[in-house]
Amino acid sequence: MRKFVVLTLVLSFILAPLAALPAVAQEEEKRWDGADDLPVNPLPCGDEPAPEPEPKEYDGGQPVNPPDLAGKEITLVDVPKLIGIGYFAATTKGQQEAAEELGNVKVTTDAPTEANIDEQITFIDNYITRGVDGILFAANDPVAITPVLKKALEQGIRVVGYDANSLPEGREWFVNQAEFNGIAKALLDSLAAEKGEDAKFGIVTSTFTTPNQARWIAEMWAYAKECHPDMVWLETLEAQEDYNLSFEQANTLIDKYGDELDGLFGMTSVATPAAADAVTQAGLCGEVAVVGLATPNAMKPFVNSGCVKSVVLWNPVDLGYAAVYVMRQVVDGNFKPGDTEVEAGRLGKLKVVNGSEVLLGPPFIYTAENINDFDF
Amino acid sequence: MASVTQTVSMRRPRSQVSSVLRTIFGSQESVLLVVLVLLIAYVGHSNSGFLATRNMVNVFAGYAYIAIAALGMTMVIVTGNIDISVGSLMVTLSMLSGALVTYKGYPSWLPLDAIIGISWLLPIVIGALIGAIIGFFVTYLRIPAIVVTLGFLSILKGVLIMVSQGERITGMPTGYALAQRRPLQGLDFPIFEDFFRMLTMPVFFMVFLMIVVALWMRYSPTGRAMYAVGGNAEAARLSGISEHRIVMTAFILNGVFVGIAAVLNATQFSVIQVTLPPIELQIITATVVGGVSILGGTGTVVGAVLAAILLNTITKALVFLDISPFWTRAIQGLMILVTVLADLIRRQRQAE
Repeated sequence: MRKFVVLTLVLSFILAPLAALPAVAQEEEKRWDGADDLPVNPLPCGDEPAPEPEPKEYDGGQPVNPPDLAGKEITLVDVPKLIGIGYFAATTKGQQEAAEELGNVKVTTDAPTEANIDEQITFIDNYITRGVDGILFAANDPVAITPVLKKALEQGIRVVGYDANSLPEGREWFVNQAEFNGIAKALLDSLAAEKGEDAKFGIVTSTFTTPNQARWIAEMWAYAKECHPDMVWLETLEAQEDYNLSFEQANTLIDKYGDELDGLFGMTSVATPAAADAVTQAGLCGEVAVVGLATPNAMKPFVNSGCVKSVVLWNPVDLGYAAVYVMRQVVDGNFKPGDTEVEAGRLGKLKVVNGSEVLLGPPFIYTAENINDFDF
Repeated sequence: MASVTQTVSMRRPRSQVSSVLRTIFGSQESVLLVVLVLLIAYVGHSNSGFLATRNMVNVFAGYAYIAIAALGMTMVIVTGNIDISVGSLMVTLSMLSGALVTYKGYPSWLPLDAIIGISWLLPIVIGALIGAIIGFFVTYLRIPAIVVTLGFLSILKGVLIMVSQGERITGMPTGYALAQRRPLQGLDFPIFEDFFRMLTMPVFFMVFLMIVVALWMRYSPTGRAMYAVGGNAEAARLSGISEHRIVMTAFILNGVFVGIAAVLNATQFSVIQVTLPPIELQIITATVVGGVSILGGTGTVVGAVLAAILLNTITKALVFLDISPFWTRAIQGLMILVTVLADLIRRQRQAE
C-alpha cells in the first residue's frame, strides 16, 4: 500500500508539468525582440470603442468610519513622489483647476524635494497627525508606502492614488494614467498616419527585459498583427537609459537600413529625443519619422523644428484633475466599490479597470500645436 | 641566461617575413590597427552598407569623446594610478556647459559668442581644478587613487542628481553645437571628397589631440618622466624626478581632457540629459585594450584611441552582421583579458 502511495506521488510529480505542457506550447509564439511573453490584450483598430473591461472584484482598501462630508468643504493634501520638477508641477496645476471648478475642495501639494520613500512616508505620517480629510499620493515605492496609507484609512481618512500605485489595500482608488495596450495603439497609429500602412521601422528600447518597455513592445506586436499587418518590423536595439548609446543605436539603424527605413520608435524618454537627434543630424527629417514615449520638454526642439510630429504620453494636468474629481465623488458617496465608471468634470465619464483603478483614457499625443503649453 | 642566448641565436636565421610580422604584431598599436582594418573590410564585404560614408563617420566619431578622455586616462594609468570618477565628472561638466550657455542672467553687453566661449572653456578649467584636487589627495595625502576617485565618483553623482533633478537642458544656441555629426563647414575638398566629409569636429579633435599628446609624451621631459614614475618610482626618484609633480600633472591633464570630452559630448546633441552610463568603464577599457599597462610604465595614447574606435566598430559591426548585441560585452571583456595577459607575458619575458 505504501509503495502504491509513493508511486502515485512520484508519478504525479512527473506528470503534473507534462499535463501543463500543451497549454504552454500553444501560447508560445515567437514575439518580436524586446517583447515579453505575458498575455496581451490589443485594443480594436482605429476609432472603434474599446470593449468593456473584464469585470474584476473591487480590491481596494476602505476607510474605517469616515465622517460624512458629502457636499461639505474638504481639505486634501497631495503628496507626489517629489516636488520641484515640471511633471508634478503639472499634476498640481490640474488639481488646482479641479478644486477651483468644484469650489468645495481645498488641496495643497507638499512632498520631499527628492524622490525618497522614507521622506515621503514621514510627510504622509505628519499630515495624518495634523488631520486632513483626504490624501492624494504618487508612491515612490508601491510596497513601502502601503502601511502608512493603511494607517490613514484606519483613521477614517480618504485615500486616492495617481501616477504611481501602492498595493491595492493601501488606497480606495488609483487613477491609472495609461494602459500598455493604449500606448501601443497610439504609437503604431501615429506612425501609420505619418508614413503609411507599409512603413518599415526600427525600435530603440532600454533593454529587452525592462518590464514596461517589454510590455509595450508585446502589445505593439499584438496590435500590429491585427490592425497594421503590412508594417515591416526591422530590428530592435538596446540602448539602456543612455542618451549617447541611444543616439549611436539610432544612427546604426539609419545606416544599416538606409532608404528602407521609414520610422524609429523610441521606447524610453531618453531614446526618443536621442533618435530624433540622430535623424536631425543625418538630415533625414521627413524621410525617417520618429515616434515615441517622451516628456514634452525634451522633445520641444524636434517638434518645433517639424522633425517629430507626435510624442505619445499622457497629460499630467488631466491626471491631477481626475485625481481630485475621483476624491470628491468618493467623499460625496457618488463613487462606490463595484461602480464601473465615475464622472470627472471636463474629462467626462472615466472607466474602472482592474478592480479598483480609474483609467484616465487614451494616451495624450503632443504635437506642434500643444507641446509648448507644457513645461515638464 | 643560457636559454635566452639560445633563443636569440635560434631566431636570428629566420627570414625577413618573420621580422615584418614581428614589427606588425610587436606592438599593441599595430595589432589594433590590423584588427580594425580587417574588421571593417570583413563587415563591409558581408554588408556593403557598412562602408557607406555616413556609417564610417559614425564609426569614427561615435567614440571620439571616449577616445579623448582616454588620452588623460593613459597618462594617469602610465604613472601607475587610476581614475574611476571620469564618467561622473564628464556628465557633470557636460551639464555645466549646457547650463552655462542657456543661463539667462548674463549682462546684456556680453555677446553671444563670448557666452558660448565661456560654456566651452569653463568646464575644461573646472575639470583641471578637480583633477588637481584628486592629484593632491593622491600625492600629498598618499591616499590610493582608486579610493580618492571612488569618493569623487559618489560625490559628483550625488551633486549631479541633486542639482539637475532629472531635468534636461534644451534651447542651446545654434553656434554652440560644436560637435554635431555633420561635415566640417566652409571647407572644399578637391580630392577624396567622401573621405574628408568624414572629418566631423569630434574626429578632428580626436586625431589632432592624439598626435599632440603622443609626441608630448614621447619627447617632452615631463611626458617621459610619467613613464619613469610608473615604470620604476624608486629609480625615477633617484634620477631627480619629482614624483608628486608628475602625478599631479597627469591628474590635472586628465581633468582637462575629460573637460574637452565633456564639451564635445554636450555640443553634439540638442538635448543634454543626465544619464549616467558607466562611461568610466568604457574609457578604462579603451585605455587598457590600447596597450596601456594597468601596472603603469608602458603604453601610448595612439593605442588607446585605436582601441576606442575598435570598441565602437565592434558594437556597430555586430548589428550589421545580425549577431546578437549580447555579444558586445563578452567580446569587450575577452579583449581586456587577452591584452592584460599579453602584457603580463611581455613583462615576464623582459624580466628574464
